Amino acid sequence: MPYHLFKCSECIPEREKHAVVKAEGEDLSFCLPLGYLNTIPGSISERGCAFCGAKHVIGTPMKDVIHLCHGPVGCTYDTWQTKRYISDDGNFQLKYTFASDMKEKHVVFGAEDQLRKSILEAFKAFPHIKRMTIYQTCASALIGDDMNALAQEIMEEMPDVDIFVCNSPGFAGPSQSGGHHKINIAWINQKVGTVEPKITSRYVINYVGDYNIQGDAEVMVDYFRRMGIQVLSIFTGNGRYDDLRGMHKAHLNVLECARSAEYICNELRIRYGIPRLDIDGFGFEMLNESLMKIGLFFGLEKEAQAIIDTETARWKPELDWYAKRIKGIKVCLWPGGSKLWHWAHIIEKEMGLDVVSIYSKFGHQGDFEKGIARAKKGTLAIDDPNELEAVEAMEEWAPDIIFTGVRPGEVAKKLRVPYLNAHAYHNGPYKGYEGWVRFARDIYNAVYSPIYQLSGLDISRDDFPLDQGFKTQRLISNPEIKDENGERQYSGQYDCVTPLRSKEYPPYPEPLSKAI
Amino acid sequence: MPCEIMEKERTGIINPIFTCQPCGAQYASIGIKDCIGIVHGGQGCVMFVRLLFAQHFKDNFEIASSSVHEDGAVFGAIDRVEEAVDVLLMRYPEVKVVPIISTCATEVIGDDIDGVVNKLNSGLLKQKYADRDVHLIPIHTPSFVGSMISGYDVALRDFVIHFAEKTKPSGKLNLITGWVNPGDVTALKHLLAEMNVAATVLFEIESFDSPLMPDKSGKSHGSTTIDDLKNTANALGTIALNRYEGGKAAKYLHDKFDLPTVIGPTPIGIRNTDIFLKNVSKLTGQPIPSSLVQERGIAIDALTDLTHMFFADKKVAIYGNPDLVIGLAQFCLDLEMKPILLLLGDDNSGYATDSRLLEMTEKVDFDMQIITNADLWDLDGRLKRKEIELDLILGHSKGRWAAIDNKVPLTRVGFPTYDRAGLYRHPVLGYAGAIWLAEEMANTLFVDMEYKNKKEWILNVW
Repeated sequence: MPYHLFKCSECIPEREKHAVVKAEGEDLSFCLPLGYLNTIPGSISERGCAFCGAKHVIGTPMKDVIHLCHGPVGCTYDTWQTKRYISDDGNFQLKYTFASDMKEKHVVFGAEDQLRKSILEAFKAFPHIKRMTIYQTCASALIGDDMNALAQEIMEEMPDVDIFVCNSPGFAGPSQSGGHHKINIAWINQKVGTVEPKITSRYVINYVGDYNIQGDAEVMVDYFRRMGIQVLSIFTGNGRYDDLRGMHKAHLNVLECARSAEYICNELRIRYGIPRLDIDGFGFEMLNESLMKIGLFFGLEKEAQAIIDTETARWKPELDWYAKRIKGIKVCLWPGGSKLWHWAHIIEKEMGLDVVSIYSKFGHQGDFEKGIARAKKGTLAIDDPNELEAVEAMEEWAPDIIFTGVRPGEVAKKLRVPYLNAHAYHNGPYKGYEGWVRFARDIYNAVYSPIYQLSGLDISRDDFPLDQGFKTQRLISNPEIKDENGERQYSGQYDCVTPLRSKEYPPYPEPLSKAI
Repeated sequence: MPCEIMEKERTGIINPIFTCQPCGAQYASIGIKDCIGIVHGGQGCVMFVRLLFAQHFKDNFEIASSSVHEDGAVFGAIDRVEEAVDVLLMRYPEVKVVPIISTCATEVIGDDIDGVVNKLNSGLLKQKYADRDVHLIPIHTPSFVGSMISGYDVALRDFVIHFAEKTKPSGKLNLITGWVNPGDVTALKHLLAEMNVAATVLFEIESFDSPLMPDKSGKSHGSTTIDDLKNTANALGTIALNRYEGGKAAKYLHDKFDLPTVIGPTPIGIRNTDIFLKNVSKLTGQPIPSSLVQERGIAIDALTDLTHMFFADKKVAIYGNPDLVIGLAQFCLDLEMKPILLLLGDDNSGYATDSRLLEMTEKVDFDMQIITNADLWDLDGRLKRKEIELDLILGHSKGRWAAIDNKVPLTRVGFPTYDRAGLYRHPVLGYAGAIWLAEEMANTLFVDMEYKNKKEWILNVW
């Protein structure tokens, strides 16, 4: 029996099937936790709601949009300034958030008038912004305001504006994942096909499922651009609203986070015949494969190889410097969904880390299939771990570092386990060749921090050592390791993304229709 | 009239100053020892509030959710509360206090949290947890009423109503702090200790700032006990520092147990701290000792170094929790500064009759606006449209972009202050708070002068 029932969860035996420990010779038919089921009330789960999945994760990375929540002010406040989803033109989406400020009287008499006024005021306050998304919340869903009809009315009155309505109240599903699905489908139903984009290259993609965490998407788009590929839209990090209305004209959907954005790719395939190509921007080997897959699709293998060669030569010696030193470090991997399998395998292969446990807050069974299929014997996998389970597992599996969010990270801190922010990153971006080195550097700095040596000392004991002196991270890790083949520590800048924004590229290969 | 109180002109919110009521109830709940609240609503109502606390305190706090999903929203979700209470009590054997905190969703669908508490009290708690002292407390905090401020006020009142029990006089003073930081509680307890006054502090939150221990035992939690709450009825009197955060509980104790009660002023700055100490003295009969005269003198000395040379005539905007904003404005006036814009982020009807605000409308002799139901666009927009010019902003971290983009220095104060390190550890209350605030404001101005080359050479000879 691969299922693992935590001591703290013996009184809620339904949790048993949400955790597995992979045993010798077991495959997925034995070893797969349940996933994406309703949360057990009172268990202190780390899950969010479907509203935040729609608005916070997928909606708000769009940069040229007024993001307005129809509901009481809390939903708006709470999903504001808690992410590092940046844009290349001033971060309007991080700085501003809008609410219709629903009050008690609106619950009784309806809040459509309140919403209408809020919409008009928002456009008036920011006259250069002509696009808006309106998000439903629990309260506005339950009182039944017809947001779609109102948006339609306003678009008729103000022909220069366009409004997208997302009906994904907080209760719509077991976790934020329900909201990912809802906004994917709402976008393709309402908006895709309503703008005809200008095609300027022979090779045209949508880059889907990247939210530009600390600049991830900008790093990836740089590679695509260097290959001569036009990125028609990004769903949705650093993305533009009108670009996303023209998704139907891409030749290929390049999909990164399949957990949050495969829905729209699947619909684009069904409705417009655009193929889906899953890629992975984390790790050298995955990047090489991903760029080459895209290269093969378009006949741009040479261009892909050129990038792979340049980037590998520049950054591999720096990755190797860290990999040698963090080899064997035990990792607990506790992301939201897709980083479970994006990271688990490749951090073992390229950095020599030892992934001892993989958890997911809102992943589905499909995510665990991908994660567990590659996991080794003894790996613990938990779906939606609650706080007590996480602590129990941390004691039993004893990771040296945990990749997770702020709150579980604070719990780990007290257990003297360093954490890296898996959702927002410590010093990202982590995508791309340079980003992967930055990730390795963050791991190295975390696990060999002198602070964890100090935190373990009990000064009330007689054997408390006073004559140790300081140790740099390198001395703590392993001073015997010799640098070979030009291996060196990270040599990039604190901000490696801003310079990309002023970069110049050769012209695109012209579209075939024009070439003929 | 140079100073006027007005409501925000717009209908909607652009960049809110506050979040909603359940957050306030959750903040109150974490101040109690062995208490884990259950928020009855969607999971986001807890997850984001816990994140907010973790951002502010850089520590984790335990709060549970009833995890209302779609079926619950359609058919009623009160059974989720029953299950949540049972799961929580089974897995957290130390838990004694479980507030059931409602949200907009569960108030709209009409889930009866009072009824379910009665049912659990006579059923589950008797049958399964007879050997445990467990208190379930329904707290109604629909998000569409008030704000996190009223949520805190309501929750604190409901805790007191539930527990306060007349037995024998405790000889202690009730000190209801309002929404403050651990550093404030330390400063207040220091003042009371100097006066030799024993107090029940609601809430004891110094333990929010928890250690990282070699034996891994550190954990952030509140330390107010059930006995503390029970004994509030037996105090010799109550001082509530804030009218809007704790005023309701103080009034209840006054009305129900006839306790001598003083509400306000928030002891920010010298003048208000003086009044606070005088109030403590009146209620307890303890004199103000010379040690506090000395301490006050140190604070006055520090302020005198700053006020005419650096603070005089500086224009300031202040936003955040209402008692904090008012207290800071009063302090600024004593420092020769001009608080020209105060933003109060909800529609509390009490503002119209707040004597502290009315005093400003009567006495202030420069142009000053006090906006109620305000948002941060009331600050940011005025700056962008060049309707006001400011030297300094006082407020929490959610206003950071209004400050950064308009290039006005911001001294972080209030809740949350996640974009500066460790502020929860420092007081703004008492004489210690006056020193810390004034020096923090001065140093903020100094850095701004240096970055903008604005007479930065003046500090050569200070």
